[in-house]
Amino acid sequence: MAFTRHTRTVLALTAPAYLWLTATVLLPLAAMFYFSFLTASPLGGKEVRFTLQHYADFFTKEIYWYNAWRSVELGLYVTAICLIVGYPAALGLAKYVKGRWREAIFLLIILPFWSNALVRTFSWTMVLREPFNILFSYPAIVIGLVHAYLPYAILTCYISLQAIDDSLIEAGRSLGATPAQTFRRITLPLSLPGVLAAIFLIFVPVIGSFMEPRILGGKDAIMLGPIIEGQFITAFNWPLGAALSFTMLGMVLLVLLVVMPFLNRQMARA
Amino acid sequence: MERAAKTYLGLILIFLYLPIVVMIAMAFNRSPLYEMPFTFDLVWFKALAYNQRLLQASWNSIWIACINAVTATTLGTLAAYAFARYEFRAKRLLQILLFPPITIPWLIIGTSMLIFFFWTGIGRGLHAILLGHVALSLPYVIVVVGARFANFGPQLEEAAASLGATPWQSFWRITVPVLLPGITAAALFAFAVSFDQFVISYFLAPPGTSTLPVEIYTSIRKGFTPEINAISSIIILFSMGLMLIVARNYKFGGDN
Amino acid sequence: MSRVDIQHVSKRYGAFAALDDVTIAFNDGEFFGLLGPSGSGKTTLLRSIAGFIAPDQGSILFDGEPVESVPVHRRAIGMVFQSYALFPHLTIEENIGFGLDVRSVPREDIRKRVAEMLSLVRLSGLAARYPKQLSGGQQQRVALARALITRPKVLLLDEPLGALDRRLRQEMQVELKDIQRESGVTAIFVTHDQEEALTLSDRIAIIDQGKLIQVDAPQTVYERPANIFAANFLGDANVFRGTPAKSGLKLADGTVIATLKPSTGAAIVRPEKLRVASGRKKSAGNSLTGEITQAIYSGASVTYRIHTKVLGDMPLLAFIQNQTGEVLDTGAAVTVSWDKEQTIPVEA
Repeated sequence: MAFTRHTRTVLALTAPAYLWLTATVLLPLAAMFYFSFLTASPLGGKEVRFTLQHYADFFTKEIYWYNAWRSVELGLYVTAICLIVGYPAALGLAKYVKGRWREAIFLLIILPFWSNALVRTFSWTMVLREPFNILFSYPAIVIGLVHAYLPYAILTCYISLQAIDDSLIEAGRSLGATPAQTFRRITLPLSLPGVLAAIFLIFVPVIGSFMEPRILGGKDAIMLGPIIEGQFITAFNWPLGAALSFTMLGMVLLVLLVVMPFLNRQMARA
Repeated sequence: MERAAKTYLGLILIFLYLPIVVMIAMAFNRSPLYEMPFTFDLVWFKALAYNQRLLQASWNSIWIACINAVTATTLGTLAAYAFARYEFRAKRLLQILLFPPITIPWLIIGTSMLIFFFWTGIGRGLHAILLGHVALSLPYVIVVVGARFANFGPQLEEAAASLGATPWQSFWRITVPVLLPGITAAALFAFAVSFDQFVISYFLAPPGTSTLPVEIYTSIRKGFTPEINAISSIIILFSMGLMLIVARNYKFGGDN
Repeated sequence: MSRVDIQHVSKRYGAFAALDDVTIAFNDGEFFGLLGPSGSGKTTLLRSIAGFIAPDQGSILFDGEPVESVPVHRRAIGMVFQSYALFPHLTIEENIGFGLDVRSVPREDIRKRVAEMLSLVRLSGLAARYPKQLSGGQQQRVALARALITRPKVLLLDEPLGALDRRLRQEMQVELKDIQRESGVTAIFVTHDQEEALTLSDRIAIIDQGKLIQVDAPQTVYERPANIFAANFLGDANVFRGTPAKSGLKLADGTVIATLKPSTGAAIVRPEKLRVASGRKKSAGNSLTGEITQAIYSGASVTYRIHTKVLGDMPLLAFIQNQTGEVLDTGAAVTVSWDKEQTIPVEA
């Protein structure tokens, strides 16, 4: 054998997990990429040719780019609300609540986050009807998604806020900074990695959401996620669905490329 | 300031728990249309016992979650061990490869699995759902078990060897017991990932076969019955209870 | 015969030589300190003796038997780790008994031996606790008891007191020495703390950049260092460089200072061997005149830094016993003198 014993051990330990991941995640993504250039699914028995038509459709047909924009817009709304509501909560938890209270509240915040997302979305259908009467509307989708991802925002901001040594804040105060200046010049910049992580962790899945809009959105549910779902479940136009999926993936990577350098720089500084 | 912070956090907790509490209350309300006044009744829980579709789906979910937990924990622990105890060139690459299953939207992962499994003849069904769930659970297992590994370096194993323990003795009497809290947490985590997973299962479930979340979604889309309320209440209490155990376990494992 | 023999051992990591042709013989029952700066190779040497590292060249013998092919668990060593490496899931009793348990010693015997060890390290009554519940000093003693219970051929200690605070470290030094003497075990320990090395060791090895610089009793290493590195690493030293002269060392300005033995180009004098008198008057023996640039009063003694023309930028360092309660002023002209016998020629 050309492999050393060390290499063989590492291979034996990592191969099972990574073969599995290759077969169920990496190869499927490659297969979908291939499908996205086909005129029809090769499984249907029809003649199949290569085409860029699906990608062209995305940029030319209003139904696709407009609804893709609606998904991005939804992502922006939900991310912004989660941060505006979540950051102060994380700050309060990290800097003003102490001891057992902090532990208990922290646990209560992350607990629903790990529970069933579908059921939590469903539960809003019972609250948003009478007397609020906003079920099956755009605000209902936003509320459901904020409910789903708010714990993410609080969690990531909390982690980076509680890592800030209190003496840094005290040092800022001792040098004559007002509480507001201390927050703006010290606390906020140091907690930025948490904020950026939250942006990534919320924005990406929200763009890809389809179950929440379907359950809470009624007529307003039409955006990229549900359209992709439709291509696979009802319309059976897999190549188009694949192309739309990959366009969405491209948008995700774009966000990653924008957020990553900031994140890396912040990490390197910390 | 602490008062203000607590009040604000209290409001957030109300927002987070309000729908869950309302849903659970409605599961015990006699009226099928959520009409007031509230009348306590177990009628929807009794109805559950006769809903064959939901029972079958629950059974499927539990089985898949169990097999998934065992498989993902085993494969993930092996990989975590390699990361923690060996240096190799592809390490960084392999670690980066853990990100796609976590960061790419499930919608994309699910649809690509559907295409690939259909194309290769694996097809849809419980076996395909299990394949997908293990892939989603693996990164979590590797991270959780890896964190436990990071907490104790190779010194414990070296200490055991210096005291005369053979590698075999050292593995069973030191490595495994010390890792156990992490492995347990990872297994519970993997169970929860699978049990709560909807998106992937939704694309990989053929008509007539489904897991609990898929069955619930179908019922909701069709115009639901309060039985869904009852089963949802059970699920959410169950998965929160499970996570409470993980949190305690993980904390026990996390400090040193 | 020596208990452990290190013969021409070398270990390289790429271009970096962690150990470069090291040869030491460790005697039976001695407490031996390996002293050097971090990265000097002292830990590599300790881990090679334990068997965690296989040397590239040379051999390691226990009681005359080569052990290169003997795995760690059959080398009959005891090791105390810097982090103690106590098993977190086992009680103190189980931790200490572990070495006997893996050798299938009967339960009753283990219980008895553990009880003995617990009383040796003064921890009786804590048997049922877990490591987490013990203080740093207590954990240290558990680690020691655990390593000693198997009656190892050699006890290896990696910075054994490094994790303790200063006061506790001083207490534990005395205790460690007592326990080692009582058990009669051959002990080799690694440290970068010179005071610890002087206090604990019967013999010290100074290691730098993978090379053995000097092996001697603590007093010898301090009083007769082999080279400038050893002199500076163990304690403070005033270093004189020059050219060999008939009766000593000729400095740059032509001053000749008398040395203990003929010198090769450098000599050192320990700061506490210097005498400082105010005024400029040549006295018998070696003397230099200069000016005090800094005087630090620290109760029992006074530290002076003295500028001399011949040494230029390098001030003379003098530790003076506080016998009169007086401190000379900064700027004062002084004469520094010392004996020929305290002027030790060293390798440059």
